[in-house]
Amino acid sequence: MQPTLSFEQAPPISVPYRFFLTAPLFGVVAGLLLAWYGPEAMASRWSSGALAMTHLIVVDVMLQVMCGALLQFVAVAAGANIWRPLLVAAIVHPMITAGAVLLASAFVLELPVLFLMAALVFALALGFFLTVMMIALWRTPARGMTIVVLRLAVFGLGVTLALGVTLACTLGLQAGPPLTLINVHVAWGLGGWALMLVIGVSYLVVPMFQLTPAYPLWLTRVLPFALLLVLSLWSLQIFASGGEAQDWQVQVAQAGMLLAGFYAVATLVLQWRRRRRQTDVTFLFWRVAMLSLLAYAASWLLLDAIPELGRHPRAPLWLGVLVLPGVFLSVIIGMLYKIMPFLNWLHLQRISDPGMPPPNMKQMIPEGAMRGQMRLHFLAFGLLLMAVVWPPLALPAGLAFTASCLWLEWNLLGALWKYEYFRDLALTDQTRAAGAAHGP
Amino acid sequence: MAEPRLIDGRDMVPPEPLELTLAALDTLAPGEELRVLLYCQPHPLYSILDKNGYRYSTELRADGSNEILISKR
Repeated sequence: MQPTLSFEQAPPISVPYRFFLTAPLFGVVAGLLLAWYGPEAMASRWSSGALAMTHLIVVDVMLQVMCGALLQFVAVAAGANIWRPLLVAAIVHPMITAGAVLLASAFVLELPVLFLMAALVFALALGFFLTVMMIALWRTPARGMTIVVLRLAVFGLGVTLALGVTLACTLGLQAGPPLTLINVHVAWGLGGWALMLVIGVSYLVVPMFQLTPAYPLWLTRVLPFALLLVLSLWSLQIFASGGEAQDWQVQVAQAGMLLAGFYAVATLVLQWRRRRRQTDVTFLFWRVAMLSLLAYAASWLLLDAIPELGRHPRAPLWLGVLVLPGVFLSVIIGMLYKIMPFLNWLHLQRISDPGMPPPNMKQMIPEGAMRGQMRLHFLAFGLLLMAVVWPPLALPAGLAFTASCLWLEWNLLGALWKYEYFRDLALTDQTRAAGAAHGP
Repeated sequence: MAEPRLIDGRDMVPPEPLELTLAALDTLAPGEELRVLLYCQPHPLYSILDKNGYRYSTELRADGSNEILISKR
Protein backbone atom coordinates (compact mmCIF):
# COMPACT_ATOMS: atom_id res chain seq x y z
CA MET A 1 0.00 0.00 0.00
CA GLN A 2 1.55 3.30 -1.07
CA PRO A 3 1.11 5.85 1.70
CA THR A 4 -1.24 8.69 0.90
CA LEU A 5 -2.42 11.44 3.20
CA SER A 6 -4.80 10.18 5.88
CA PHE A 7 -5.95 12.96 8.17
CA GLU A 8 -7.85 10.86 10.65
CA GLN A 9 -4.60 10.35 12.54
CA ALA A 10 -3.53 14.01 12.59
CA PRO A 11 -2.30 15.02 16.07
CA PRO A 12 -3.58 18.23 17.72
CA ILE A 13 -2.29 21.33 15.95
CA SER A 14 -0.30 22.46 19.00
CA VAL A 15 1.97 19.38 18.69
CA PRO A 16 3.88 20.46 15.56
CA TYR A 17 3.33 24.21 16.05
CA ARG A 18 5.22 24.45 19.35
CA PHE A 19 8.33 23.10 17.58
CA PHE A 20 7.84 25.23 14.44
CA LEU A 21 7.42 28.48 16.35
CA THR A 22 10.47 27.95 18.57
CA ALA A 23 12.94 27.15 15.78
CA PRO A 24 13.31 30.57 14.05
CA LEU A 25 14.02 32.25 17.41
CA PHE A 26 17.23 30.24 17.69
CA GLY A 27 18.09 31.22 14.12
CA VAL A 28 17.91 34.82 15.39
CA VAL A 29 20.35 33.93 18.19
CA ALA A 30 22.70 32.22 15.70
CA GLY A 31 22.70 35.30 13.45
CA LEU A 32 23.35 37.66 16.37
CA LEU A 33 26.16 35.42 17.56
CA LEU A 34 27.80 35.63 14.14
CA ALA A 35 27.41 39.42 14.11
CA TRP A 36 28.89 39.58 17.64
CA TYR A 37 31.91 37.36 16.87
CA GLY A 38 32.42 38.95 13.44
CA PRO A 39 35.36 37.73 11.32
CA GLU A 40 36.71 35.72 14.29
CA ALA A 41 33.87 33.20 13.83
CA MET A 42 35.08 32.61 10.28
CA ALA A 43 38.64 31.69 11.34
CA SER A 44 38.00 27.94 11.17
CA ARG A 45 35.35 25.31 11.90
CA TRP A 46 36.88 24.84 15.37
CA SER A 47 36.36 28.44 16.55
CA SER A 48 33.92 28.79 19.48
CA GLY A 49 31.68 31.02 17.38
CA ALA A 50 31.53 28.59 14.44
CA LEU A 51 30.86 25.59 16.70
CA ALA A 52 28.15 27.40 18.69
CA MET A 53 26.46 28.70 15.52
CA THR A 54 26.59 25.32 13.81
CA HIS A 55 24.92 23.62 16.77
CA LEU A 56 22.36 26.41 17.13
CA ILE A 57 21.34 25.78 13.52
CA VAL A 58 21.45 21.97 13.46
CA VAL A 59 19.93 21.36 16.89
CA ASP A 60 17.88 24.44 17.77
CA VAL A 61 16.50 25.18 14.33
CA MET A 62 16.70 21.99 12.23
CA LEU A 63 16.08 19.39 14.92
CA GLN A 64 13.18 21.41 16.39
CA VAL A 65 11.36 21.64 13.06
CA MET A 66 12.21 18.09 12.00
CA CYS A 67 10.92 16.59 15.28
CA GLY A 68 7.68 18.59 15.00
CA ALA A 69 7.26 17.73 11.33
CA LEU A 70 8.01 14.06 11.97
CA LEU A 71 5.29 13.86 14.65
CA GLN A 72 2.86 15.29 12.11
CA PHE A 73 4.10 13.52 8.99
CA VAL A 74 4.43 10.04 10.51
CA ALA A 75 0.85 10.22 11.76
CA VAL A 76 -0.67 11.73 8.62
CA ALA A 77 1.36 10.30 5.74
CA ALA A 78 2.27 6.95 7.25
CA GLY A 79 -1.05 6.47 9.04
CA ALA A 80 1.02 5.54 12.11
CA ASN A 81 -0.44 5.80 15.59
CA ILE A 82 1.84 7.91 17.76
CA TRP A 83 1.55 7.21 21.47
CA ARG A 84 0.02 10.27 23.23
CA PRO A 85 1.44 12.95 20.89
CA LEU A 86 0.48 15.84 23.21
CA LEU A 87 2.44 14.29 26.07
CA VAL A 88 5.41 13.40 23.84
CA ALA A 89 5.57 16.98 22.53
CA ALA A 90 5.18 18.42 26.05
CA ILE A 91 8.20 16.38 27.23
CA VAL A 92 10.46 16.44 24.17
CA HIS A 93 10.03 20.07 23.08
CA PRO A 94 11.18 21.83 26.29
CA MET A 95 13.93 19.26 26.83
CA ILE A 96 15.54 19.59 23.40
CA THR A 97 15.20 23.38 23.70
CA ALA A 98 17.00 23.30 27.05
CA GLY A 99 19.60 20.81 25.73
CA ALA A 100 20.32 23.00 22.73
CA VAL A 101 20.75 26.12 24.90
CA LEU A 102 23.13 24.17 27.15
CA LEU A 103 25.14 22.89 24.17
CA ALA A 104 25.47 26.29 22.47
CA SER A 105 26.39 27.89 25.82
CA ALA A 106 28.98 25.16 26.41
CA PHE A 107 30.71 26.08 23.13
CA VAL A 108 30.52 29.84 23.74
CA LEU A 109 31.58 29.78 27.41
CA GLU A 110 33.84 26.71 27.04
CA LEU A 111 32.46 25.28 30.28
CA PRO A 112 32.93 21.48 30.45
CA VAL A 113 30.08 20.90 32.91
CA LEU A 114 27.58 22.32 30.39
CA PHE A 115 28.62 19.66 27.84
CA LEU A 116 27.83 16.95 30.39
CA MET A 117 24.44 18.52 31.20
CA ALA A 118 23.59 18.87 27.48
CA ALA A 119 24.57 15.23 26.88
CA LEU A 120 22.26 14.03 29.67
CA VAL A 121 19.29 16.13 28.55
CA PHE A 122 19.64 15.08 24.89
CA ALA A 123 20.09 11.42 25.76
CA LEU A 124 16.86 11.44 27.78
CA ALA A 125 14.75 13.62 25.44
CA LEU A 126 15.81 12.14 22.11
CA GLY A 127 16.02 8.62 23.51
CA PHE A 128 12.36 8.92 24.47
CA PHE A 129 11.40 10.57 21.15
CA LEU A 130 13.21 7.89 19.13
CA THR A 131 11.52 5.07 21.06
CA VAL A 132 8.06 6.53 20.41
CA MET A 133 8.84 7.09 16.72
CA MET A 134 10.32 3.63 16.18
CA ILE A 135 7.28 1.94 17.71
CA ALA A 136 4.90 4.05 15.59
CA LEU A 137 6.85 3.43 12.36
CA TRP A 138 7.16 -0.31 12.95
CA ARG A 139 3.49 -0.80 13.77
CA THR A 140 2.04 1.15 10.84
CA PRO A 141 0.22 -1.00 8.29
CA ALA A 142 1.34 1.36 5.49
CA ARG A 143 4.05 0.16 3.11
CA GLY A 144 6.20 1.84 0.49
CA MET A 145 9.60 3.50 0.30
CA THR A 146 8.60 6.64 2.21
CA ILE A 147 8.01 4.52 5.33
CA VAL A 148 11.27 2.60 4.82
CA VAL A 149 13.27 5.81 4.43
CA LEU A 150 11.60 7.42 7.46
CA ARG A 151 12.68 4.39 9.52
CA LEU A 152 16.24 4.77 8.22
CA ALA A 153 16.20 8.49 9.08
CA VAL A 154 15.03 7.79 12.63
CA PHE A 155 17.81 5.19 12.92
CA GLY A 156 20.25 7.83 11.59
CA LEU A 157 19.13 10.25 14.31
CA GLY A 158 19.77 7.51 16.88
CA VAL A 159 23.36 7.00 15.64
CA THR A 160 23.95 10.79 15.55
CA LEU A 161 22.64 11.08 19.09
CA ALA A 162 24.83 8.23 20.42
CA LEU A 163 27.95 9.74 18.81
CA GLY A 164 27.01 13.30 19.87
CA VAL A 165 26.48 12.26 23.49
CA THR A 166 29.85 10.47 23.44
CA LEU A 167 31.55 13.59 22.02
CA ALA A 168 29.87 15.90 24.55
CA CYS A 169 31.00 13.58 27.38
CA THR A 170 34.62 13.59 26.14
CA LEU A 171 34.51 17.42 26.01
CA GLY A 172 32.87 17.49 29.46
CA LEU A 173 35.62 15.31 30.85
CA GLN A 174 38.17 17.54 29.09
CA ALA A 175 39.54 14.74 26.92
CA GLY A 176 40.21 15.72 23.29
CA PRO A 177 37.69 13.86 21.12
CA PRO A 178 39.28 11.99 18.17
CA LEU A 179 38.72 13.61 14.78
CA THR A 180 37.41 10.33 13.36
CA LEU A 181 34.53 10.33 15.86
CA ILE A 182 33.64 13.92 14.88
CA ASN A 183 33.78 12.96 11.17
CA VAL A 184 31.36 10.09 11.72
CA HIS A 185 29.01 12.16 13.93
CA VAL A 186 28.80 14.91 11.27
CA ALA A 187 28.21 12.37 8.46
CA TRP A 188 25.34 10.64 10.30
CA GLY A 189 23.80 13.94 11.37
CA LEU A 190 23.83 15.45 7.89
CA GLY A 191 23.52 12.32 5.73
CA GLY A 192 21.90 9.63 7.87
CA TRP A 193 19.38 11.85 9.61
CA ALA A 194 18.79 15.19 7.82
CA LEU A 195 19.31 14.18 4.17
CA MET A 196 17.63 10.81 4.68
CA LEU A 197 14.56 12.56 6.12
CA VAL A 198 14.48 15.06 3.25
CA ILE A 199 14.72 12.17 0.75
CA GLY A 200 11.89 10.20 2.42
CA VAL A 201 9.61 13.22 2.64
CA SER A 202 10.42 14.34 -0.90
CA TYR A 203 9.16 11.05 -2.39
CA LEU A 204 5.69 12.13 -1.28
CA VAL A 205 5.65 15.94 -1.16
CA VAL A 206 7.57 16.86 -4.32
CA PRO A 207 5.11 15.13 -6.72
CA MET A 208 2.10 16.13 -4.61
CA PHE A 209 2.77 19.81 -3.97
CA GLN A 210 4.94 20.69 -6.96
CA LEU A 211 2.90 18.64 -9.47
CA THR A 212 5.94 16.80 -10.80
CA PRO A 213 6.09 13.20 -12.04
CA ALA A 214 6.88 10.65 -9.31
CA TYR A 215 10.53 9.76 -8.54
CA PRO A 216 11.50 6.63 -10.58
CA LEU A 217 10.80 3.52 -8.50
CA TRP A 218 14.35 2.14 -8.87
CA LEU A 219 15.80 5.43 -7.60
CA THR A 220 13.54 5.46 -4.54
CA ARG A 221 14.79 1.95 -3.69
CA VAL A 222 18.50 2.26 -4.48
CA LEU A 223 19.29 5.74 -3.12
CA PRO A 224 18.59 5.32 0.63
CA PHE A 225 20.34 1.96 0.87
CA ALA A 226 23.36 3.21 -1.10
CA LEU A 227 23.53 6.17 1.31
CA LEU A 228 23.32 3.78 4.26
CA LEU A 229 26.16 1.67 2.81
CA VAL A 230 28.36 4.75 2.33
CA LEU A 231 27.69 5.89 5.90
CA SER A 232 28.48 2.42 7.27
CA LEU A 233 31.81 2.25 5.40
CA TRP A 234 32.65 5.82 6.46
CA SER A 235 31.97 4.83 10.09
CA LEU A 236 34.70 2.17 10.02
CA GLN A 237 37.26 4.94 10.64
CA ILE A 238 36.20 4.92 14.30
CA PHE A 239 38.11 1.66 14.65
CA ALA A 240 41.24 2.96 12.89
CA SER A 241 44.35 3.09 15.05
CA GLY A 242 45.67 6.55 15.95
CA GLY A 243 42.34 8.29 15.24
CA GLU A 244 43.23 8.79 11.55
CA ALA A 245 40.91 7.97 8.66
CA GLN A 246 42.20 5.42 6.12
CA ASP A 247 43.11 6.58 2.60
CA TRP A 248 40.33 4.53 0.99
CA GLN A 249 37.75 6.43 3.01
CA VAL A 250 38.39 9.46 0.82
CA GLN A 251 36.77 7.46 -1.99
CA VAL A 252 33.87 6.47 0.29
CA ALA A 253 33.16 10.14 0.98
CA GLN A 254 33.38 10.90 -2.74
CA ALA A 255 30.84 8.16 -3.45
CA GLY A 256 28.55 9.78 -0.86
CA MET A 257 28.92 13.14 -2.61
CA LEU A 258 28.06 11.56 -5.97
CA LEU A 259 24.91 10.08 -4.43
CA ALA A 260 23.88 13.43 -2.93
CA GLY A 261 24.56 15.18 -6.24
CA PHE A 262 22.58 12.52 -8.10
CA TYR A 263 19.56 13.01 -5.82
CA ALA A 264 19.77 16.78 -6.33
CA VAL A 265 19.87 16.39 -10.13
CA ALA A 266 16.96 13.90 -10.07
CA THR A 267 14.84 16.36 -8.06
CA LEU A 268 15.76 19.28 -10.33
CA VAL A 269 14.82 17.21 -13.40
CA LEU A 270 11.44 16.36 -11.83
CA GLN A 271 10.87 20.05 -11.08
CA TRP A 272 11.72 20.89 -14.69
CA ARG A 273 9.14 18.30 -15.87
CA ARG A 274 6.34 19.58 -13.60
CA ARG A 275 2.85 19.57 -15.02
CA ARG A 276 1.93 23.12 -14.10
CA ARG A 277 4.30 26.01 -14.82
CA GLN A 278 3.63 27.68 -11.51
CA THR A 279 6.45 28.62 -9.15
CA ASP A 280 5.37 29.19 -5.57
CA VAL A 281 7.83 29.85 -2.73
CA THR A 282 8.03 26.18 -1.72
CA PHE A 283 9.07 25.28 -5.26
CA LEU A 284 11.76 28.00 -5.27
CA PHE A 285 13.09 27.02 -1.83
CA TRP A 286 13.40 23.40 -3.02
CA ARG A 287 15.13 24.49 -6.21
CA VAL A 288 17.73 26.55 -4.34
CA ALA A 289 18.18 23.71 -1.83
CA MET A 290 18.87 21.20 -4.59
CA LEU A 291 21.26 23.59 -6.39
CA SER A 292 23.05 24.10 -3.07
CA LEU A 293 23.27 20.34 -2.56
CA LEU A 294 24.78 20.01 -6.02
CA ALA A 295 27.23 22.85 -5.23
CA TYR A 296 28.09 21.15 -1.90
CA ALA A 297 28.88 17.82 -3.60
CA ALA A 298 30.88 19.55 -6.38
CA SER A 299 32.81 21.67 -3.84
CA TRP A 300 33.71 18.59 -1.80
CA LEU A 301 35.06 16.82 -4.89
CA LEU A 302 36.95 19.95 -5.98
CA LEU A 303 38.51 20.40 -2.52
CA ASP A 304 39.63 16.75 -2.68
CA ALA A 305 41.10 17.29 -6.15
CA ILE A 306 43.03 20.45 -5.15
CA PRO A 307 44.65 19.57 -1.76
CA GLU A 308 46.14 23.04 -1.16
CA LEU A 309 42.57 24.44 -1.35
CA GLY A 310 41.12 21.53 0.64
CA ARG A 311 43.58 22.14 3.52
CA HIS A 312 42.52 25.80 3.90
CA PRO A 313 41.05 26.31 7.41
CA ARG A 314 37.95 27.98 5.96
CA ALA A 315 37.22 25.22 3.40
CA PRO A 316 34.96 23.27 5.84
CA LEU A 317 33.06 26.52 6.56
CA TRP A 318 32.29 26.89 2.85
CA LEU A 319 30.83 23.38 2.87
CA GLY A 320 28.95 24.09 6.12
CA VAL A 321 27.28 27.23 4.76
CA LEU A 322 26.27 25.43 1.55
CA VAL A 323 24.70 22.52 3.40
CA LEU A 324 23.09 24.19 6.45
CA PRO A 325 21.48 27.48 5.36
CA GLY A 326 21.69 26.48 1.67
CA VAL A 327 20.25 22.97 1.62
CA PHE A 328 18.49 22.19 4.87
CA LEU A 329 17.17 25.57 6.01
CA SER A 330 15.87 26.25 2.49
CA VAL A 331 13.94 22.96 2.43
CA ILE A 332 12.70 23.52 5.99
CA ILE A 333 11.42 27.06 5.39
CA GLY A 334 9.86 26.03 2.06
CA MET A 335 8.04 23.16 3.76
CA LEU A 336 6.92 25.31 6.73
CA TYR A 337 5.23 27.65 4.25
CA LYS A 338 3.29 24.66 2.90
CA ILE A 339 2.68 22.73 6.12
CA MET A 340 1.34 25.53 8.35
CA PRO A 341 -1.27 26.87 5.90
CA PHE A 342 -2.27 23.25 5.13
CA LEU A 343 -2.66 22.32 8.81
CA ASN A 344 -4.56 25.55 9.51
CA TRP A 345 -6.97 24.78 6.70
CA LEU A 346 -7.30 21.12 7.68
CA HIS A 347 -8.07 21.76 11.36
CA LEU A 348 -10.44 24.65 10.55
CA GLN A 349 -12.20 22.56 7.94
CA ARG A 350 -13.02 19.98 10.64
CA ILE A 351 -14.72 22.45 12.94
CA SER A 352 -16.28 24.78 10.37
CA ASP A 353 -19.98 24.94 9.71
CA PRO A 354 -20.78 23.49 6.22
CA GLY A 355 -22.32 26.83 5.24
CA MET A 356 -19.22 28.74 6.29
CA PRO A 357 -16.09 27.04 4.90
CA PRO A 358 -12.64 27.95 6.29
CA PRO A 359 -10.57 30.55 4.42
CA ASN A 360 -8.55 29.39 1.45
CA MET A 361 -5.11 27.93 2.24
CA LYS A 362 -3.49 30.77 0.28
CA GLN A 363 -4.94 33.31 2.71
CA MET A 364 -3.11 31.88 5.74
CA ILE A 365 0.27 33.59 5.09
CA PRO A 366 0.37 36.49 2.59
CA GLU A 367 2.25 35.51 -0.57
CA GLY A 368 4.17 38.82 -0.55
CA ALA A 369 5.42 38.21 3.00
CA MET A 370 6.64 34.70 2.10
CA ARG A 371 8.41 35.94 -1.04
CA GLY A 372 10.02 38.84 0.84
CA GLN A 373 11.33 36.53 3.56
CA MET A 374 12.54 34.07 0.92
CA ARG A 375 14.58 36.79 -0.84
CA LEU A 376 16.07 37.83 2.49
CA HIS A 377 17.00 34.22 3.28
CA PHE A 378 18.73 33.87 -0.09
CA LEU A 379 20.53 37.21 0.47
CA ALA A 380 21.72 36.04 3.92
CA PHE A 381 22.86 32.74 2.38
CA GLY A 382 24.83 34.60 -0.32
CA LEU A 383 26.42 36.93 2.26
CA LEU A 384 27.37 33.95 4.45
CA LEU A 385 29.13 32.33 1.48
CA MET A 386 30.92 35.57 0.69
CA ALA A 387 31.90 35.97 4.37
CA VAL A 388 33.75 32.63 4.16
CA VAL A 389 35.83 34.09 1.32
CA TRP A 390 36.12 37.57 2.89
CA PRO A 391 35.50 37.35 6.69
CA PRO A 392 34.79 41.10 7.29
CA LEU A 393 31.37 40.37 5.73
CA ALA A 394 30.51 38.24 8.78
CA LEU A 395 28.75 41.18 10.47
CA PRO A 396 26.30 42.00 7.63
CA ALA A 397 25.83 38.26 6.98
CA GLY A 398 24.92 37.69 10.63
CA LEU A 399 22.52 40.63 10.67
CA ALA A 400 20.85 39.54 7.40
CA PHE A 401 20.43 36.01 8.78
CA THR A 402 18.93 37.44 11.99
CA ALA A 403 16.47 39.57 10.02
CA SER A 404 15.48 36.61 7.83
CA CYS A 405 14.75 34.41 10.86
CA LEU A 406 12.79 37.21 12.56
CA TRP A 407 10.66 37.64 9.44
CA LEU A 408 10.10 33.89 9.27
CA GLU A 409 8.91 33.89 12.90
CA TRP A 410 6.57 36.80 12.15
CA ASN A 411 5.09 34.98 9.14
CA LEU A 412 4.56 31.77 11.14
CA LEU A 413 3.00 33.70 14.05
CA GLY A 414 0.68 35.37 11.53
CA ALA A 415 -0.48 31.91 10.40
CA LEU A 416 -1.08 30.88 14.01
CA TRP A 417 -3.08 34.04 14.77
CA LYS A 418 -5.16 33.49 11.64
CA TYR A 419 -5.91 29.94 12.76
CA GLU A 420 -6.94 31.15 16.23
CA TYR A 421 -9.14 33.92 14.80
CA PHE A 422 -11.10 31.60 12.47
CA ARG A 423 -11.26 28.82 15.08
CA ASP A 424 -12.83 31.22 17.60
CA LEU A 425 -15.21 32.46 14.92
CA ALA A 426 -16.33 28.90 14.08
CA LEU A 427 -16.73 27.96 17.74
CA THR A 428 -18.75 31.11 18.48
CA ASP A 429 -21.04 30.28 15.55
CA GLN A 430 -21.51 26.74 16.83
CA THR A 431 -22.34 28.00 20.33
CA ARG A 432 -24.81 30.50 18.90
CA ALA A 433 -26.44 27.82 16.72
CA ALA A 434 -26.70 25.43 19.68
CA GLY A 435 -28.21 28.22 21.80
CA ALA A 436 -30.79 28.99 19.13
CA ALA A 437 -31.70 25.28 18.80
CA HIS A 438 -32.31 24.97 22.55
CA GLY A 439 -33.87 28.41 22.91
CA PRO A 440 -37.41 29.11 24.13
CA MET B 1 -28.87 9.90 -17.46
CA ALA B 2 -27.03 13.21 -17.42
CA GLU B 3 -23.22 13.34 -17.65
CA PRO B 4 -21.69 13.58 -14.13
CA ARG B 5 -20.21 16.89 -13.13
CA LEU B 6 -16.40 16.76 -13.37
CA ILE B 7 -13.63 18.07 -11.12
CA ASP B 8 -10.25 17.37 -12.69
CA GLY B 9 -7.90 17.78 -9.73
CA ARG B 10 -4.89 16.15 -11.39
CA ASP B 11 -3.07 19.43 -11.96
CA MET B 12 -4.20 21.12 -8.78
CA VAL B 13 -2.20 21.60 -5.58
CA PRO B 14 -3.77 20.12 -2.40
CA PRO B 15 -6.16 21.00 -0.87
CA GLU B 16 -7.67 22.74 -3.92
CA PRO B 17 -9.40 19.59 -5.29
CA LEU B 18 -10.89 18.90 -1.86
CA GLU B 19 -12.10 22.49 -1.53
CA LEU B 20 -13.77 22.36 -4.96
CA THR B 21 -15.30 18.94 -4.26
CA LEU B 22 -16.79 20.08 -0.94
CA ALA B 23 -18.24 23.16 -2.66
CA ALA B 24 -19.75 20.96 -5.41
CA LEU B 25 -21.31 18.58 -2.85
CA ASP B 26 -23.35 21.48 -1.46
CA THR B 27 -25.21 21.77 -4.76
CA LEU B 28 -25.33 18.08 -5.74
CA ALA B 29 -28.93 17.12 -6.52
CA PRO B 30 -30.37 13.69 -5.53
CA GLY B 31 -29.48 11.21 -8.29
CA GLU B 32 -26.78 13.46 -9.69
CA GLU B 33 -23.16 12.20 -9.84
CA LEU B 34 -19.90 14.06 -9.24
CA ARG B 35 -16.76 12.73 -10.94
CA VAL B 36 -13.36 13.63 -9.40
CA LEU B 37 -9.99 12.84 -11.01
CA LEU B 38 -6.89 12.72 -8.80
CA TYR B 39 -3.41 11.16 -8.74
CA CYS B 40 -3.68 10.25 -5.04
CA GLN B 41 -6.24 8.45 -2.87
CA PRO B 42 -8.14 11.27 -1.11
CA HIS B 43 -8.57 9.78 2.37
CA PRO B 44 -9.79 13.04 3.93
CA LEU B 45 -12.52 13.24 1.29
CA TYR B 46 -13.54 9.61 1.90
CA SER B 47 -14.01 10.21 5.62
CA ILE B 48 -16.09 13.33 4.93
CA LEU B 49 -18.25 11.40 2.43
CA ASP B 50 -18.73 8.52 4.90
CA LYS B 51 -19.76 10.87 7.67
CA ASN B 52 -22.18 12.91 5.56
CA GLY B 53 -24.24 10.26 3.78
CA TYR B 54 -22.63 10.08 0.33
CA ARG B 55 -21.83 6.94 -1.62
CA TYR B 56 -18.70 6.72 -3.70
CA SER B 57 -16.65 4.33 -5.78
CA THR B 58 -13.03 4.60 -6.87
CA GLU B 59 -11.45 3.21 -9.99
CA LEU B 60 -7.76 3.24 -10.91
CA ARG B 61 -7.33 4.46 -14.49
CA ALA B 62 -4.67 3.51 -17.01
CA ASP B 63 -2.80 6.84 -16.57
CA GLY B 64 -2.33 6.11 -12.84
CA SER B 65 -5.03 8.52 -11.71
CA ASN B 66 -8.07 7.66 -9.57
CA GLU B 67 -11.60 8.30 -10.76
CA ILE B 68 -14.01 8.85 -7.85
CA LEU B 69 -17.76 8.83 -8.54
CA ILE B 70 -19.84 10.44 -5.78
CA SER B 71 -23.61 10.62 -5.29
CA LYS B 72 -26.08 11.13 -2.44
CA ARG B 73 -27.11 7.99 -0.57
